[in-house]
Amino acid sequence: MVVTMAHQLSIGFVGNPNCGKTTLFNAYTGANLKVANWPGVTVEKKEGRFQFHDQEYKLVDLPGTYSLTSYTMEEQVSRQYILSDDVDVIIDVADASSLERNLYLTLQLIELGKPVILALNMMDIVEKRGMEIDTHRLPEMLGIPVIPVSARRKTGLDILMHAAAHHKDQHEEMPLIHHHTQQTKHAHSHHKEFVMVYSDELEDKIDLVSEALKAAYPEIDNLRWHAIKLLENDREICEKYPLHRPDLLERSYEKDIINQKYAFIREVLQEVLVNKEQKAAITDKADQLFTHRFLGLPIFLVIMALVFFLTFTVGDWLKSYFELGLELFSSGVLSGLKSLQVPDMLISLLVDGIIAGVGGILTFLPNIFILFLALAFLEDSGYMARVAYVMDGIMGKLGLSGRSFIPMVLGFGCSVPAIMASRALENKRDRYKTMLITPFMSCSARLPIYVLFSGLFFEEYAMLAAFSMYVLGMLVAILCAFLMHLIDRKKTQENALLIELPEYKAPSAHTIFIYVWEKVKDYLTKAGTTIFFASIIMWFLLNFGPSGFSGEMSDTFGSLLGKALVPFFTPIGLGFWQIAVALIAGISAKEVVVSSCAVLFGISNITSDAGMAAMAASLTGIGFSALNAYALMTFSLLYVPCAATLATIKKETGSWGWTGLCALFQICVAWVVTFLIYHIGLLLF
Amino acid sequence: MTLQEGIPGREYVVESMELPIETERRLEALGLIEGGSVFVLRKKRRGAMIVKIQGARFALGLGITKKILLQA
Repeated sequence: MVVTMAHQLSIGFVGNPNCGKTTLFNAYTGANLKVANWPGVTVEKKEGRFQFHDQEYKLVDLPGTYSLTSYTMEEQVSRQYILSDDVDVIIDVADASSLERNLYLTLQLIELGKPVILALNMMDIVEKRGMEIDTHRLPEMLGIPVIPVSARRKTGLDILMHAAAHHKDQHEEMPLIHHHTQQTKHAHSHHKEFVMVYSDELEDKIDLVSEALKAAYPEIDNLRWHAIKLLENDREICEKYPLHRPDLLERSYEKDIINQKYAFIREVLQEVLVNKEQKAAITDKADQLFTHRFLGLPIFLVIMALVFFLTFTVGDWLKSYFELGLELFSSGVLSGLKSLQVPDMLISLLVDGIIAGVGGILTFLPNIFILFLALAFLEDSGYMARVAYVMDGIMGKLGLSGRSFIPMVLGFGCSVPAIMASRALENKRDRYKTMLITPFMSCSARLPIYVLFSGLFFEEYAMLAAFSMYVLGMLVAILCAFLMHLIDRKKTQENALLIELPEYKAPSAHTIFIYVWEKVKDYLTKAGTTIFFASIIMWFLLNFGPSGFSGEMSDTFGSLLGKALVPFFTPIGLGFWQIAVALIAGISAKEVVVSSCAVLFGISNITSDAGMAAMAASLTGIGFSALNAYALMTFSLLYVPCAATLATIKKETGSWGWTGLCALFQICVAWVVTFLIYHIGLLLF
Repeated sequence: MTLQEGIPGREYVVESMELPIETERRLEALGLIEGGSVFVLRKKRRGAMIVKIQGARFALGLGITKKILLQA
């Protein structure tokens, strides 16, 4: 059947955290939103559009929620959207392998009265476990269409959309067939009308409250749902539709309502679930190792060490090929432009400015690629949620829950998504603290700085020097959290970690491909935009002075700016105007510290052997030693996060004051730590 | 006894909870309710534990498990 309609159909994807809503959303819209195997990946609603059978669909992917009694930010986002008039049909995405929990939300959605379709996702996993779900009996008991799908294998997708288009205008209920053994004394036979029927006592209450509501607020169209919410003592509904009837609402019936819903779910499962799974043995076995009370932490540290080891070794091996290509390209362009009689100034802009700056950054792509590949594995396997459990003890001593550690681990990749992930923390104080310390986790943009400077000055210990930055960043983050915990008077006394641990699964190649590709694309975009413009600005600042185009770098705007800042940087061993300029430029993006050095020292291929030798010579020429290099690495690790991170902090906190405070705090920490390292270093060597 | 004192491998029935209302509502939505059952999977000596509620695994912090009383 072809449905033609003038307006588009809005469909909201609702479901528990980690049930595959985003995978399904991606499958329809062709979008590449991030998915991973830990709860809370999606933190804000995302929209997408697509055409199917002459009908335009607007799909909305909502953050996962366990219920519609909302107390966390992501649950509020979902509930507000579902209650609004923007949505025509709700697709309730359920993880079929964990039906018991998922049906609880389904029952609440059905009570809400909007058209609901149940998409049974992960049916492939159900089959693999030797389970069977009676997909004929389930819709009979729930009164809504039930469509088995597999978002990962893209099966059942057309049928689901077809059902959505069809179900939209269906106002009469589907027949409900139940075989209760228990005889009810209730006057009404509610099962003819409602899926979820409560005990006689509660049903009587619901009827009375509904009548009172109808008299007081004739505009309410779903009386039953509102009556149930009032009986549950739901904050929002009680404020919106106060009913001053203490005789009816003498206590909260919330517990009874929840209990009876779960009892009904068990009744449903008994009828539809054939061959109930024998315990998910693999996950339990894996957890015996990964969440072991003593081994859990060392295993986590070994895994992270392995991630960085691969990043540096495999990444560096691949990088050498990129350098070769860049060298050929750069010298080719240079000789080509020279033979075309292009003015020297333009050659200088192209070769010393753009190719040196952008090209230098592009050679780090292999390292970035390997790092994100490893992180994608950790996220998609289901290990990430375990990290929250393993780290909970340590984080508890810092006044944070183990869940705060997930944003911190993500911070090894990029601070921006890491700060967004802190949204899943329920407690506002925890969220702000986590946002403050997450930028100390060494992100991939800082990696080029370590690779370059440790390669220049630490030779065979280069990898160790670079790795020490990751440890240092983590230690500083932990120390800051601890100090904040000590001075925080209104500390949350209790460690209220609460996180679902998903089943382990083999990471999906497609998911990992999307994840890594998005990161690589971001990196390339950054090289083509921020770093491109920063390189041009740097080139301008370093070639023009008050007297115009200048061959002598010491007369330029850049050097004037840098020299003004030298007094601030001298006590921490960075009193070189070139370094000061590079660090200021690095606020646009941390890689710019490296691209700026390339422009500053006029080196077109900064990561090649020849380029490194030239750079080392230039640096030694100005008295920059290994200790200065280590100070530079430390300062780059800890000082003001990049512009994109600051913008994210502003977005999440909604306050410029707080964002400014964050930046200031980080500069202070960076200065103090670098000062200590530099002076201890001076004493030792 | 409290959930914190639960022994891995055993199933318990929740007697009562003395938690902030937000946390209690969240747990209830997950199916951890008075009269409901909870299966202890793993625990650290003094810290978080992993439990199974209504078929799904959860890590719960000490602050929560200490405040959940179990039927003896």
